[in-house]
Amino acid sequence: MKWQTKLAATASAAALAMTMGVAITPASAADVVLKMAVPDWPPTRIMKKFFDEQYKAPSGNKVILDVDFIPWPDFYTRVNASLTSGEKKYNMSVADSQWLGAFVEGGYFRKVNDYIDADPGLKATMAEIHPAFYDAYSTYPYKSKNIYGFPQFPDVLVTYGRKDILCNDDEQKNFKAKYNTKLPCTGEEMDNIDWTLFQQIGEFFQRKKGDMLAGKPADDDFYGIAYQAGKGYDFASMQINGFIWQAGGDIWDETKAPNSHAEGVVNSPAAVGALDHYLSLLKYMPPVVKTGTMDIFKSDELFREGKVAMNIDWIGLGEASLDPKTSKVSDKLVFGMTPGTRGADGKMIRWNNLGGQPFVLMTWNTDLQNKEGMDFVKWWLSPAIQNEFAAGGGQSAVKSVYTDAKYNSYRPWNRAWAASLDWQKDVWHVPPFFDLLTQQQDQFDLAITGKQDAKTTLNNVAKYQENLLKEQGLIK
Amino acid sequence: MCRSACVGLRAKGNNATADFLGMLHMTTTALPPPPTAPDAPAFLTPALDNWRGAIAAALVLSVIAIAALPAAAAFWTVGALVALVAATFVVNAFRRHYYGGLLVAPAIAMLFVMNIFPLLWSLGLSFFAYQSNRQTMKFVGLHNYIQALTSDIKAPENWANLQTTAVFVVCTVAAQMLVGFLLALLFAKQFPLRRYLLILVLTPMMLSVVAVGVFYTYYYDPTFGLVSQVVNRMCGCQYVLMSNRAGAIGGIVFADAWMWSPFVMLLVLAGLVSVPKYLYEAASIDRVSSWRSFWTITFPYIRGLLMLALLFRTIEAFKLADLVILLTKGGNGTMTISYHVLRIAQEQNKTSEGAALSYLLLFVVIVLTNLYLYVANRRSQEA
Repeated sequence: MKWQTKLAATASAAALAMTMGVAITPASAADVVLKMAVPDWPPTRIMKKFFDEQYKAPSGNKVILDVDFIPWPDFYTRVNASLTSGEKKYNMSVADSQWLGAFVEGGYFRKVNDYIDADPGLKATMAEIHPAFYDAYSTYPYKSKNIYGFPQFPDVLVTYGRKDILCNDDEQKNFKAKYNTKLPCTGEEMDNIDWTLFQQIGEFFQRKKGDMLAGKPADDDFYGIAYQAGKGYDFASMQINGFIWQAGGDIWDETKAPNSHAEGVVNSPAAVGALDHYLSLLKYMPPVVKTGTMDIFKSDELFREGKVAMNIDWIGLGEASLDPKTSKVSDKLVFGMTPGTRGADGKMIRWNNLGGQPFVLMTWNTDLQNKEGMDFVKWWLSPAIQNEFAAGGGQSAVKSVYTDAKYNSYRPWNRAWAASLDWQKDVWHVPPFFDLLTQQQDQFDLAITGKQDAKTTLNNVAKYQENLLKEQGLIK
Repeated sequence: MCRSACVGLRAKGNNATADFLGMLHMTTTALPPPPTAPDAPAFLTPALDNWRGAIAAALVLSVIAIAALPAAAAFWTVGALVALVAATFVVNAFRRHYYGGLLVAPAIAMLFVMNIFPLLWSLGLSFFAYQSNRQTMKFVGLHNYIQALTSDIKAPENWANLQTTAVFVVCTVAAQMLVGFLLALLFAKQFPLRRYLLILVLTPMMLSVVAVGVFYTYYYDPTFGLVSQVVNRMCGCQYVLMSNRAGAIGGIVFADAWMWSPFVMLLVLAGLVSVPKYLYEAASIDRVSSWRSFWTITFPYIRGLLMLALLFRTIEAFKLADLVILLTKGGNGTMTISYHVLRIAQEQNKTSEGAALSYLLLFVVIVLTNLYLYVANRRSQEA
């Protein structure tokens, strides 16, 4: 047989096989694809893995979770572009809680009260979600009865610490001698850190290369503390909001719209004092903070590279610290709650901005997709899967799960989880959130990089917010 | 000077032109006469090649569709009418045997769909209050333009960003022109390993901006970066390049120049290698100085290409946003107008406001480009 004949015969056979394949394979009407946009990081990777390994749709349909993993820095831009372009690509998406207003008002996120009302089991699960996360992730307007989202990965800020440095005898002795207080070493001791002690730790551990550090000469410059102070996305606001709330100040309160104002609140003396306090600690942090690019990823990297004794960051980034492949300090870790402000009665005030993300359904889904999507949500929020998720590196806002005694044993930071939940608040959820956020971040960046003081910064923020919110009809 | 050689070249050139014209004349006379074009249909004649009538009908129907139909239906109706008008042009050209026009029609259609239509669309949007994440749209006339230029909150920010952009345009273009020009002079000569070094020098231009941005992020990093490590060792101090405006702008300019100087070099090198050797030989016989030789022989050959490089790089520098996003996020006084527009239009979803600002920026670029072309033309006329 000539080679041309062979080739023709092979091609004919292949074409016939493909045609037969298409003809023989039944067009299964019960195959349901849920296309989902998620940020690319462990909590969503774990979810996909669990789904592929374990999920069986109660309907008997074959449900495929087609996940689009998007790098974090591009996540908002990509999802926003997809939704607003009208391509209707996704059936579900992970979304930051702040996005709810913008995308609900735009007609993209579907209200799911009807599905929850029709399912007593899911209703009971929703009732079990911690109120701070339920309000932030599910409701729009914020704290209303309208439900849009469910917790995919709830998150809070915690303090990451270096046991080998903090528990070193020489450091303990010298710290005690200098500040007349014990250098926190265990998780429980770290829970009790207030901002004054945090500042002392920052000051104490500023070491130059060659200085003694935990009994050895430091191989590079070393710093005591770090927290987010970046210009991008919300990488300063999430920390500054905590300072403001702890000092008795506030951000613009959307729940009291249209009678609440930004001016006089955002730039109140308490808020200005809180921002000043936040700025005053930056001098103890690694020098990258002067560039305005010390975001949550940078401070995490510095910590994992062994350049910092303590770092305040989201739990979501914690897995990389535990992994020896990505962390030089994986075997030296201790975790605690974030520092607080000691009130007049001596009790700690610990308000913080919550993190993490809900997931949502889209308005253009078919009924079948919505039904399968809701079944998937119900499965995801079931105690067994939530426990497994927490054990694999996630977190749960479902009360029966996080109050279970075994919960704290899953991950070293879980001990700080439940105690932190009651101290969580959230930033705005209104449609112009990104406008509010970018202007605020720009202004905070000017303060962080030493271009303007706290008062000017918050005056500018307040003026802009008042003007914008009036334009948008959110302030009378 | 090179008088003798130049006169010879000019005479040779004139002969060649005359030969070419002669051949063209002969070819033209040899061709059969073109077929007579049919008469153009009257304006109101319902004919498939009546493009004037089609335009008039499409305009009337478009206005009715926009006024009466829902937005999506109106959009597709207008699109169909535009296609209809295009079809009448095609039929008309076919009947008139205007095959040249028909051949370029697909390219023109593509240009219209990909460039002209989005431009007109965004221009239209700039007169509305429209946000891409809302479903409402309201005509506001010049409000977005007035706000961009006069609002006490927005105008100072826009102005500051435009000034920063101007700083970047001057610094990056100057650096690229200078470095590119010097590199071209170097590579115009033959030396060992020239070819390999040339590939190496061209590499930055071929890298993605993201890769360059990430590379320089680490290069400038105060803890892990090479720059800080070296300077710290030399001065015994803590050096953070990007901690102030001058350093941040300098860092971005350096990265941009590193990436795009090879582009200028390529253009200039093309001019340099096209200079006939005998001109230099004639100049050396006439004992012309190196400077004079460069100014009177080399420069006229590369002037056009230099101007082209200047124009390209200036327009690109006006659009600088990617490196700024990657290196500073616009912090430390590096926010450019392009990045600002990107944030407004894409991240904040204020589509109309972003479109208005884009058109103001486009106006500035067009004015500067025309000014440049005017100066370039005048100089070439003087020359």
